[in-house]
Amino acid sequence: MGSMELSTAPENGTAAACNGTAAPPNGGVERRLRSSSTSAAWGSHLPLEVGTRVMCRWRDQKPHPVKVIERRKSSSYSSPADYEYYVHYTEFNRRLDEWVKLEQLDLETVEADVDEKVEDKATSLKMTRHQKRKIDETHVEQGHEELDAASLREHEEFTKVKNIAKIELGKYEIDTWYFSPFPPEYNDSAKLFFCEFCLNFMKRKEQLQRHMKKCDLKHPPGDEIYRCGTLSMFEVDGKKNKVYGQNLCYLAKLFLDHKTLYYDVDLFLFYILCECDDRGCHMVGYFSKEKHSEESYNLACILTLPPYQRKGYGKFLIAFSYELSKKEGKVGTPERPLSDLGLLSYRGYWTRVLLEILKKHKSNISIKELSDMTAIKADDILSTLQSLDLIQYRKGQHVICADPKVLDRHLKAAGRGGLDVDVSKLIWTPYKEQG
Amino acid sequence: MNRLSFRPRPLDIHKKLPIVKSAREFEDDETTLALRAAPPLPRHSVPELAADVEAHPGSAKKNEQEIPTPQYDDVDTYDRDYTRTFAQPTSYIRARGARAEIGEFVEYDLDNEDEDWLEDFNNERINLNPEKLEILLFKLEILDLKARERAGIITPTFIGPVPVILQLDSAMEALQYLSVRYTVFQAVYNYWKAKREQWQKPILRRLQPPPPVNDTNPYNVFRPREKAYRLHTRRMQRRENSVQSFEKLRLIQRNLVQAKMLMDALIKREEKKREAMECEVHLRRIQMKYKHEALLIDDGFALSGFQQVPSKFGSSDDDYADSDDTDTEQPVVFHPRFPDNKLSTIPSVRLKRERELKRRRHQNAWLFRRDPEEPIMLFTRPLDPDKLEMARIRPPLDPPIDGGSTAPPFRCQGRIGRGGRIIFDRWNPLLGVPIGQEASHFV
Repeated sequence: MGSMELSTAPENGTAAACNGTAAPPNGGVERRLRSSSTSAAWGSHLPLEVGTRVMCRWRDQKPHPVKVIERRKSSSYSSPADYEYYVHYTEFNRRLDEWVKLEQLDLETVEADVDEKVEDKATSLKMTRHQKRKIDETHVEQGHEELDAASLREHEEFTKVKNIAKIELGKYEIDTWYFSPFPPEYNDSAKLFFCEFCLNFMKRKEQLQRHMKKCDLKHPPGDEIYRCGTLSMFEVDGKKNKVYGQNLCYLAKLFLDHKTLYYDVDLFLFYILCECDDRGCHMVGYFSKEKHSEESYNLACILTLPPYQRKGYGKFLIAFSYELSKKEGKVGTPERPLSDLGLLSYRGYWTRVLLEILKKHKSNISIKELSDMTAIKADDILSTLQSLDLIQYRKGQHVICADPKVLDRHLKAAGRGGLDVDVSKLIWTPYKEQG
Repeated sequence: MNRLSFRPRPLDIHKKLPIVKSAREFEDDETTLALRAAPPLPRHSVPELAADVEAHPGSAKKNEQEIPTPQYDDVDTYDRDYTRTFAQPTSYIRARGARAEIGEFVEYDLDNEDEDWLEDFNNERINLNPEKLEILLFKLEILDLKARERAGIITPTFIGPVPVILQLDSAMEALQYLSVRYTVFQAVYNYWKAKREQWQKPILRRLQPPPPVNDTNPYNVFRPREKAYRLHTRRMQRRENSVQSFEKLRLIQRNLVQAKMLMDALIKREEKKREAMECEVHLRRIQMKYKHEALLIDDGFALSGFQQVPSKFGSSDDDYADSDDTDTEQPVVFHPRFPDNKLSTIPSVRLKRERELKRRRHQNAWLFRRDPEEPIMLFTRPLDPDKLEMARIRPPLDPPIDGGSTAPPFRCQGRIGRGGRIIFDRWNPLLGVPIGQEASHFV
């Protein structure tokens, strides 16, 4: 089950800029030269083939390179020009893939995707398997380093086009990010209407309105285990509230790339974070957790809904998951793979927690002790400190470099801590003891 | 720096590491090495990042270094759709039972198909409101579930189309309290049934069976999963106390008990055989003793080759335990491999007769003593000499006639036994005397 954290941090890394795997190889000059002679010809080549690379006008009104993933006849189909194209912005994550109209595409920049195929055929014969794997690996998009190339390709094939473009959830109409395997009856629907409380989903607004008249839920169907101001956390058992858990998974998958809905929700607990007002408790995000994890995972999936992102809720959810681990007396780690946003938030959390301790701590300290104090797995501590170059090898032994200036610089980079978890307000017993 | 190329000692997480508070200590010390044993992870924590904290994600204005995400809008009907009727209790909220258990909540929401059908239906006839239709469809689903439960055809996973069991009459009867007119109810029932047959599964999501565990279609979701309790080592895994291994052990136990019974029977048989052998040996000894005395008394000389013959026959008798042949006669099958047997040296008829009598007694002693008068061999046929010839079986020669004697001491007589075997008798099985001497015996 993939994990994804939708960060609240504005200082999100550089992923967007370096995400692109294949900017168009041809320079602008060359393109312009060719376009003058071929632009007329391209009109007769419509519709564009899948795999074509072209520049597309994005929401910032600037052209961005895209690759055509899929095409379909538009509703008013009359000529080959009346096609819509599902495009992937090669600079960005797949979550921004979308259907565009022909007028958004700059046909003068069209490049058929022939190069890649020819190259593939020519090289595949000569390359050893090892070489090929190396190339496959370098082609993998950022953010899924932990998946092998084959399973990633399979995953992308099966989820290549979003089935649901928009959802309405409570106060917000939200553009979706990824494919989600809704039941086949919902496949013909570009927009779904979710009940904010029980998360049932419907195809028409009237259906939702009729549902709202009878829906008796005003909060997630579980126990409230934390309340601080308007913020509440509910624990929902997937076995007791199967339909709710499944609804939540369908919804979450729309925003999480590497999440699988392969297995049922019985074995999971869902922690739903809500903002409460006089209309009810509105979900802002959640994380799920296995009831019994053999790999010491303390979190399976994590999501902050897009309207609530960049407000510190994601960090709150991460901190909360570690507070639960502390209550259980265990160390925990999130299930892998982490998404781009997820890794960012976790790194931020680990950095903040560990560096705050190092700033105050005077005497020698072992990684194990840090792990016991924070419930963060030792591997995660090591990778965090190493990536910040804080563990150094000096005169035959490892030392932790904790220069206050350096620590402050890293802490500033890691961003704000988000909302704090007030442990005194957490009323919770671990699942096993309830059983 | 080439000196970076050697690998630092792996870090022990239990070892206390000194915390160095000043970076200068490192700068002064040229031997300092940045630890690069593990490949450094991507560093997103570049300190120069802009801190445009409150950037609205929906705005077109994008911080260059943010990860862009899709957008969202506000829903204008929200204030009307959701009422201000929630009052947060002072204590933490506790879960109620699941919806299905509470009872009166109508779980079913009409879908597009239902709404379209209802519109057509209402155009033609009286008004059926959508809420009522929701209730009816929900109740039909629940009644059908109960009917399928009673019929015992609930499958834990989706292995084939889920049939509609509920009949119109019984549904009408069960839902009488809703006071729906029969024609309306019938129309709803027919619509529901057609929809169910088209979907091939319940239309209430809660009742739809999950895909089977071995289904690999990625579009099917929420498979049931038995959380396997895994032991730590392989040896422990092999010893797992599961139903399967219990059954295996039970099978082993059954096999062992059977093997023991078989062994007991075998031991018994071997003991019996041994007893039989001892009896025979005993009998032979007595015979020998008797014969020697008789010889000494009558003729005053020993018969050297004579003992061989009974012992040979005796050895074939020993096989009785292993054969199914329980014929009352243990007929002497003449072995052509010793046609020139020593019997020819038997000097006197009387001695021969005594021997035959003893032998006969010995043979039948195991089973029962037959009345010599009783006719037997009901199922035998006489031998056909031509057929024997064709099968290349030569009947044994009659023994040569001793000088002085008018008749041969015995002749071989053949017949076909019950099982089709060819049997040669040297004595009459009925009379128990050598063939050719019956008359003299009875005279």
